[in-house]
Amino acid sequence: MASNKKYWKSVEELNENSAIVDTLKHNEFPEEIPTDLFLGDKKNLEATSTTRRDFLKYVGFTTAAVTLASCEGPVVKSIPYIIKPNDIIPGVAEYYATTIADGFDFANVLVKVREGRPIKIEPNKDANGATNARVQASVLSLYDSHRLKGPKANSAEISWNEADQQIIAKLNEIKAAGLPIAVLTGTIASPSTKKLIAKLNETFENVAHVEYDAVSESAALDAFELMYGTRALPDYHLEKAEVIVSVGADFLGNWQGGGFEAGYSKGRVPTNGKMSRHIQFESNMSLSGANADKRMMVKPSEQIQTLIKLYQAVVNGVVSTESTPLNVAIQKAAAQLKTAGSKGIVLTGIQEKNAQILALAINKALNSEVLDVSATKNIRKGNDADVAQLIADMNEGKIGAVIIYNSNPVYTLPNSAAFVEGLKKVKLSVAFSMQDNETANAVQYTLATPHYLESWGDVEIKKGQFSLIQPTIKTLFNTRQFQDSLLAWTGSTATYYDFLKETWNAEILGGKSWNQALHDGVFTSDAAQSSAISLEVDVETAATELEAVKGSDLELELYVKIGLGDGQMANNPWLQEFPDPITRTSWDNYLTMSKADAIALGAVNNHVANGALNGSLVELTVNGVSEILPVLIQPGQAKGSLGLALGYGRKQGLKAEMQTGKNAYPFYKDFKNFQPNVTLKLSAGEHEFACVQLQNTLMGRGDIIKETTLETYNDNSLDPKHTWNKLPMVSLDHNEVEATSVDLWESFDRSIGHHFNLSIDLNACSGCGACVIACHAENNVPVVGKAEIRRSRDMHWLRIDRYYSHEEDFEGDNEVKENGKGAMGFKKAMDALEDPSENPSVAFQPVMCQHCNHAPCETVCPVAATSHGRQGQNQMAYNRCVGTRYCANNCPYKVRRFNWFEYPNNSKFDYHMNDDLGKMVLNPDVVVRSRGVMEKCSMCIQMTQATILKAKKEGRPVNTNEFETACSNACTAGAMVFGDVNKQEDTVKSLAEDKRAYHLLEHVGTKPNVVYHVKVRNTQEA
Amino acid sequence: MSSHYEAPIRRPLIDGDKSYHDISVDVAAPVEGKANKLWWIAFSIALTAFLWGIGCIVYTIGTGIGVWGLNKTVGWAWDITNFVWWVGIGHAGTLISAVLLLFRQKWRMGINRSAEAMTIFSVIQAGLFPVIHMGRVWNAHFVLPLPNQFGTLWTNFNSPLLWDVFAISTYLSVSLVFWWTGLLPDFAMLRDRAIRPFQKKIYGLLSFGWTGRAKDWQRFEEVSLVLAGLATPLVLSVHTIVSFDFATSVIPGWHTTIFPPYFVAGAVFSGFAMVNTLLIIMRKVSNLEAYITEQHIELMNIVIMITGSIVGCAYITELFIAWYSGVEYEQYAFLNRATGPYWWAYLFMMSCNVFSPQFMWFKRLRTSITFSFIISIVVNIGMWFERFVIIVTSLHRDYLPSSWTMFSPTFVDIGIFIGTIGFFFVLFLLYARTFPVIAQAEVKSILKSSGEKYKKLRYGNHE
Repeated sequence: MASNKKYWKSVEELNENSAIVDTLKHNEFPEEIPTDLFLGDKKNLEATSTTRRDFLKYVGFTTAAVTLASCEGPVVKSIPYIIKPNDIIPGVAEYYATTIADGFDFANVLVKVREGRPIKIEPNKDANGATNARVQASVLSLYDSHRLKGPKANSAEISWNEADQQIIAKLNEIKAAGLPIAVLTGTIASPSTKKLIAKLNETFENVAHVEYDAVSESAALDAFELMYGTRALPDYHLEKAEVIVSVGADFLGNWQGGGFEAGYSKGRVPTNGKMSRHIQFESNMSLSGANADKRMMVKPSEQIQTLIKLYQAVVNGVVSTESTPLNVAIQKAAAQLKTAGSKGIVLTGIQEKNAQILALAINKALNSEVLDVSATKNIRKGNDADVAQLIADMNEGKIGAVIIYNSNPVYTLPNSAAFVEGLKKVKLSVAFSMQDNETANAVQYTLATPHYLESWGDVEIKKGQFSLIQPTIKTLFNTRQFQDSLLAWTGSTATYYDFLKETWNAEILGGKSWNQALHDGVFTSDAAQSSAISLEVDVETAATELEAVKGSDLELELYVKIGLGDGQMANNPWLQEFPDPITRTSWDNYLTMSKADAIALGAVNNHVANGALNGSLVELTVNGVSEILPVLIQPGQAKGSLGLALGYGRKQGLKAEMQTGKNAYPFYKDFKNFQPNVTLKLSAGEHEFACVQLQNTLMGRGDIIKETTLETYNDNSLDPKHTWNKLPMVSLDHNEVEATSVDLWESFDRSIGHHFNLSIDLNACSGCGACVIACHAENNVPVVGKAEIRRSRDMHWLRIDRYYSHEEDFEGDNEVKENGKGAMGFKKAMDALEDPSENPSVAFQPVMCQHCNHAPCETVCPVAATSHGRQGQNQMAYNRCVGTRYCANNCPYKVRRFNWFEYPNNSKFDYHMNDDLGKMVLNPDVVVRSRGVMEKCSMCIQMTQATILKAKKEGRPVNTNEFETACSNACTAGAMVFGDVNKQEDTVKSLAEDKRAYHLLEHVGTKPNVVYHVKVRNTQEA
Repeated sequence: MSSHYEAPIRRPLIDGDKSYHDISVDVAAPVEGKANKLWWIAFSIALTAFLWGIGCIVYTIGTGIGVWGLNKTVGWAWDITNFVWWVGIGHAGTLISAVLLLFRQKWRMGINRSAEAMTIFSVIQAGLFPVIHMGRVWNAHFVLPLPNQFGTLWTNFNSPLLWDVFAISTYLSVSLVFWWTGLLPDFAMLRDRAIRPFQKKIYGLLSFGWTGRAKDWQRFEEVSLVLAGLATPLVLSVHTIVSFDFATSVIPGWHTTIFPPYFVAGAVFSGFAMVNTLLIIMRKVSNLEAYITEQHIELMNIVIMITGSIVGCAYITELFIAWYSGVEYEQYAFLNRATGPYWWAYLFMMSCNVFSPQFMWFKRLRTSITFSFIISIVVNIGMWFERFVIIVTSLHRDYLPSSWTMFSPTFVDIGIFIGTIGFFFVLFLLYARTFPVIAQAEVKSILKSSGEKYKKLRYGNHE
């Protein structure tokens, strides 16, 4: 900064014409420098000790030193924009509305884009979008280094032009030969793509479109078509339900495409003294069963009988008086359904057309308003019969060309070998694929397609509800969309974008703005609304036919995991490491078995010295197909039934670490999830599981997960603080006082500014785990791999604990504990409580850092690396952390995670953080932790700060409920609510004061900022 | 410490017909003589173990704490077990030299030098663990309250781990000064006897120019007394503070008010056992049976017996209080400790620490050199398990059952522990060959009052 100040240097300056000042001005050195004196005196010069050699030494040293000083570490270049794109402000995230429609998951989402990189998927709540774990994780698949990077012909690289020419030529040949062309795709709910396939048919004639779902819902589609005339899936508004009876339908999992948890959870939170009652009849312990008020273990073949009995009781009024527990439960369920009337609903996951008809018939008889037959869903279209026919035709040489898109039949087909044989017999086989998967390697032409985040498109998820897909990044590789290829082959020069816009303007928008639709991501068309027709179906015959389906002693039920789904995202490390909500096992699929069956077979689960779980191996044989599989003893598994997850065991195009589990699709004969006639043989050896939770029961610690019944909850005469939501009491001056009122510390004034709280409603939480992946993505949580998980070193900042009861319910566990009197009694009780019940009650509890106002971790850190923020957060200064792990030891919730190794840039952890492409998913707002530091949930401080900053810039106070964390944002069930308790209007404020609210381990005195809500179970049986 | 009156029934503290000169010769013998084969064998084994330990430490620092067996639930195991174990062992030295000095227990003179050496060497081992257990050991200086340019960034004085830093460093420095002060006249003796100029020079330096003037002796006595006064509270404070690492936490099984006295008793217990282990060998190998007598061993055995019983009471008190508290988490922690998956560690602890010292009630056993040696080893195994039991069994099953898991050590965990044992013995073996292992100046001061020869002269042979 320039200064105009003038400083006097001497008195002489007062004299304007001073000679001294003048001389000084012109002479830099007032005294003569005696150079001559020094250099001129030869004698003196020779006498100096600096010799020539010394001089050279000095010069040499100086040069070397200067050179060394100019060296620097490797430079990572970051190049600024020369011309800044208008809509990109470095450091500010952009959100784009788009839609995922990968054939298995369909959802309206928002994509968070930072500096041109999509880094996170969030639900598009304005469009009723909901994201599950897979949708949340799908952004990482964009940065999969094993993706197909360009078109190939017979495994050799080829240019798009050449490929087009060759394929068009072949298609013309086939057209000339009069052979049919089959387009085999996953479910396509895209109107414009359907139009393009029709266009392909116009060009090449005889084009048949076969839709195929890896995990079939064909039975439900067929049944619905039979009863309501359209081949689609009905919607279920579970928020309207008072009684939900599910026979083998895991509707909180992936049943009929999933997406029911929001409605379900709404109905499960007691409001005005009411909540829905959920009865589940199932064989595998599913997420839905785990959430049910009453769960009956029923093996698949008996589920069919259950459904028939339910039908007879509800519709025909035939009440069976058999006194088996199952029948009693069925009759009670039927009675409750009848009482509920139009507020009752029956769902079934039995993959038999007749079973689906029966369920629909019951709902029809109940006149259920939960069932929505007019706004049908298009997210499953696969037709098993068509697929079977196609394979047969291919093998007979009747098919000219097979074009595969959005499907991996070579991996997913139960009769994959026949399909591969058939492929060899067709003249032209083309696969459009994003991944270098099994199918991509079995065809002549493999055409690389972009990820959905690089694509244009549209989807009609629900009738009349159109969603748009827009690219959020330029294609990373030399890929081209399926639709663009179809346009090229049909001789059009338009791009798919033009075609899409044209189609929408002409057929969908009805004059409304395209830009607005693109901005919103969805467009609801009024024109499409039409009421469904109801057809007469002979349900009685269906029931009789169904009754003939026979079971066997041992039956297999195939299911789909929340994490890996149908297996198309197997190369996604987030999903591989995502622990199954029920078994809490990651990186694997396995045979779930009841304890009784395991004992009979001699199969065991045991823990090794470091606690990790091992399981016996067995050989499973069904219909001549055999596989060696590990056994996981599953509480709640119906005796005589086995469970096995599809979607694992992929090998092609996967990193070695991701090649986990065994492929169960070969067992998926005739696309039936229920397979009788199973034989098992104990095999030698043991399998190593990677479980993140090793103790399965709550040990009678009822204060960790508080539970009560609806009846008690509704009893207003009870004071919750002393009955069902007991506050711990302590003795102070010989008086019993509430533990929270006693305090060792002087309290801060927390009423000023923001004070954040996170509320978790245990009634609304279904345990789906979308929050776990959202947290992963938002906070750059490292993936550690199977071996490290086995060492109990998972890095999840947010986990969902799952507990089984030892008795029928958790209240029973508490009683067992209370009754364990004396040292021996206590020991006996505790030993017993370690074992889960045969059919346990299940409870989920998301646990993350509780951000205690009196945090035990903060007092013990020697370097004050973890300390409390003014807004209630317990903060970690990673730079300060020296890694003593004392904080983790002293954390009663065990939520702190230590970086045991350097996880990024370490070839031993070859996941996304060790890969230039994978690193693009990292959130630049959150630091990547180095080895040796402790990390944990920060309550997404980067998000709350951004919200505050945004409000400040816009010159307004923060809006009501504007604060969010990654987990609360991802929770479509509404279980997690985040906000500012110093703001009266924020929902969290009232939630924190709700009569169901409690803090985890209140008696420790940590005063957490995370609030849980007592789980209320609806035990009313009539 | 001039000679004092000693009752004739007291057994002599210096056996045999020793004169002042004999003492000098005996003490200087291991230093002036050549090492025998046995020493070289022992030294090579210790050195190998030490080098192996260094290898394991380098591997840990180079790769990450993940090479140990720790996990998200059990954040400390062998590291802090070893730390507390070594600190505990380090307690005997100060107790013997300071507390027994204040209580005028003359028998300490035969053993205090080695006990103090053992203290210093084991505190060095102990100090190693809090350093290497850090995830980012290169930032270890963060735990020191160093003035810095990061604004108000300071250490957290609430943290017991920080108290440890001060407690251990104070203890080490005071012990070292105390030890060295005592060494001055003895180094001077070696210097004066040395023939080779190099040796003379070295011992001259080590003795800080001790001349043996009356003033020297006067100062020596005064400093010894002052340091003894300073060191005595340290005997209690160091392990008290170490126990605060656990006692001030909120984890059931750690959060226990009994810890400070219980830890101090345990520390003295294990320290005396270690002194016994070392001296029983040394008195034999270095021909010092006359100075480290059976009586010394017996007296130490009595201390072991008493402290062992105190520790046993503490164990039982813990169990009682857990039951009496009515807190289920507390009750479960102790039930699990005794009967859970680590029951065998608890059993080791109980039988080694509580039962084995009870044999010392029998005079025949506590005067048996072999038996004392065995018990001294058993006690230290037991004390290692005590710390393991406290640390691991409390952590592995704490509040939320979802986080429960087990701990199993890796070869690195074991390697580092063995390495510290190696390092300890490397130091001790070098010490045994270069230092005056008996405080000869002090021993000489009691020769006339407690030496067998002089006692006989005075009272005749009563035996």
